Amino acid sequence: MTGVATMRRPRSLSEAIDTLAASPGADLLAGGTDLVPALRTGARPVREMISLRRIVELRARGAAGDWLTIGACATYADLAGWSLAPGLAATARSVGSPQIRNTGTVGGALGTASPRGDLLTFLVAADAGVVVTGPVGQRQLGIGRFLADRHGPDELVTAVKLARPCGPQTYLKIGARQTASIPVASCALVVDRVRRLVRCAIGGVASRPVRALAAEDHVAETADWSTGALPPDAAHRFGELVAEAVTTAPDVAGDDVYAPAAYRSHAAGVLARRAAARCLAGARGADARRP
Amino acid sequence: MPATDTGSTPGAALELAPGLAPEPTVSYQLRVDGARHQVHGAWLGASLLSVLRDTLDLTTVKDACEQGRCGSCSVLLDGRLVASCTVLAADAEDAEVTSVAGLRPSGPARAVAAAFVREGAVQCGYCTPGMVVAVTDLLARRPDADDGEVREALSGNICRCTGYGRILAAVRAVQDERAGR
Ligand SMILES: Cc1cc2nc3c(=O)[nH]c(=O)nc-3n(C[C@H](O)[C@H](O)[C@H](O)COP(=O)(O)OP(=O)(O)OC[C@H]3O[C@@H](n4cnc5c(N)ncnc54)[C@H](O)[C@@H]3O)c2cc1C
Ligand code: FES
Ligand code: FES
Repeated sequence: MTGVATMRRPRSLSEAIDTLAASPGADLLAGGTDLVPALRTGARPVREMISLRRIVELRARGAAGDWLTIGACATYADLAGWSLAPGLAATARSVGSPQIRNTGTVGGALGTASPRGDLLTFLVAADAGVVVTGPVGQRQLGIGRFLADRHGPDELVTAVKLARPCGPQTYLKIGARQTASIPVASCALVVDRVRRLVRCAIGGVASRPVRALAAEDHVAETADWSTGALPPDAAHRFGELVAEAVTTAPDVAGDDVYAPAAYRSHAAGVLARRAAARCLAGARGADARRP
Repeated sequence: MPATDTGSTPGAALELAPGLAPEPTVSYQLRVDGARHQVHGAWLGASLLSVLRDTLDLTTVKDACEQGRCGSCSVLLDGRLVASCTVLAADAEDAEVTSVAGLRPSGPARAVAAAFVREGAVQCGYCTPGMVVAVTDLLARRPDADDGEVREALSGNICRCTGYGRILAAVRAVQDERAGR
């Protein structure tokens, strides 16, 4: 990078990639809900900035075959009413306030990768793919891989890919208040009635969302897959196993100003039980598709 | 407490230790409430809120938390309700910024402002410009919004004075008025 930092406003993805290649590691600016307050407090220095707001192709969302694709610049408000992706819509509705949902984007959530990010927790439960694009083209990473490795200095996140839902899904969270509040604990549950499995991720409890694998297996084995119903004692055990997964997560958060660790694991278990009640109530619970 | 120090004093570069780059500045145009403004040499990291208030002196937009949490700085950016403290000013260059002062008189804005005064929804008044923008935005999109929807739509606007009851009453009064009830 040479000269004093400035503001670039590319109008297409290819222009953005060229601009980024010319100043690798420049700050990408999407909605600004994380970046702008951080510049203000000095938590982040002002560097070369590349705004993504004018790149219309990054705002598209759509469905093709078995996949849903969400452009990196789609806002939470763009997703909050999307009937094809009920779990993603529920997650988007739980974020921030109307002002934040109108501004904050999918790409920004992945760029920040906050351990408490609501979207990340849902994307982990959905086993999403993250598409990153750079000068040599695009590549797709699993969400776990993306969170571990992130993207190169000359790349940006361009889209997220989700399998089209094959059953109910939901997202539940507990925070200090309903609005504009990061979760103390959150739970994303995705049911796949075709493959007869569930995926469950817990957010806010460790440095990354935690998958509750033993709890998932328990549901796969005990649910009545002809109706999609989980017996009450199995749902109770599911909650216990989720709480255990939190306590035994490798880098679990300790007591902090938001909550004691014991409260978090307890809350995760309760949220998981509630999520199961919504998504695994059997045929009559089909309306849980729209939580 | 409104902060006035935006950290944007370009002259501060003179006092930097040798070898440190000066704070980057940019110049651009902003369109606010239908008027064009030239912004010269503003700090690149400045939020839309700080440029509106401190550079352009448009103090109808209020500044309280600068973290996107309180809604007192709410404006419309190309018609969408946003917290201007989370928007980078230099990135708003080709957007239309609408503050409470520029809301269309043909929409619900006047009725909303009048109802706020009449119903006692204004006490210290600090949250009011942002509230009026948010209520006007809601009623333009959802004139018949029910109580739950109104609360949800205003959940990003914090008021420390009224306890919200008077604000909800003002919204209801505007809805009744506009429906001819
Ligand atoms: C008041 C308030 C309440 C909030 N509440 C919640 C909440 O309830 N739940 C929650 O999860 N989050 C919450 N957030 C956090 C925030 O809104 C999200 O993290 C948001 O998704 C960030 O998106 P953005 O477009 O604003 O990102 P920006 O601030 O523009 O960017 C964030 C980071 O991502 C990078 N980036 C942006 N786009 C890309 C891209 N395409 N590829 C790679 N990197 C990129 C940027 O360089 C930067 O480092 C809240 C924030 C505020 C201010
Ligand atoms: S000052 Fe912008 S939301 Fe509080
Ligand atoms: S009237 Fe004082 S903050 Fe709302």
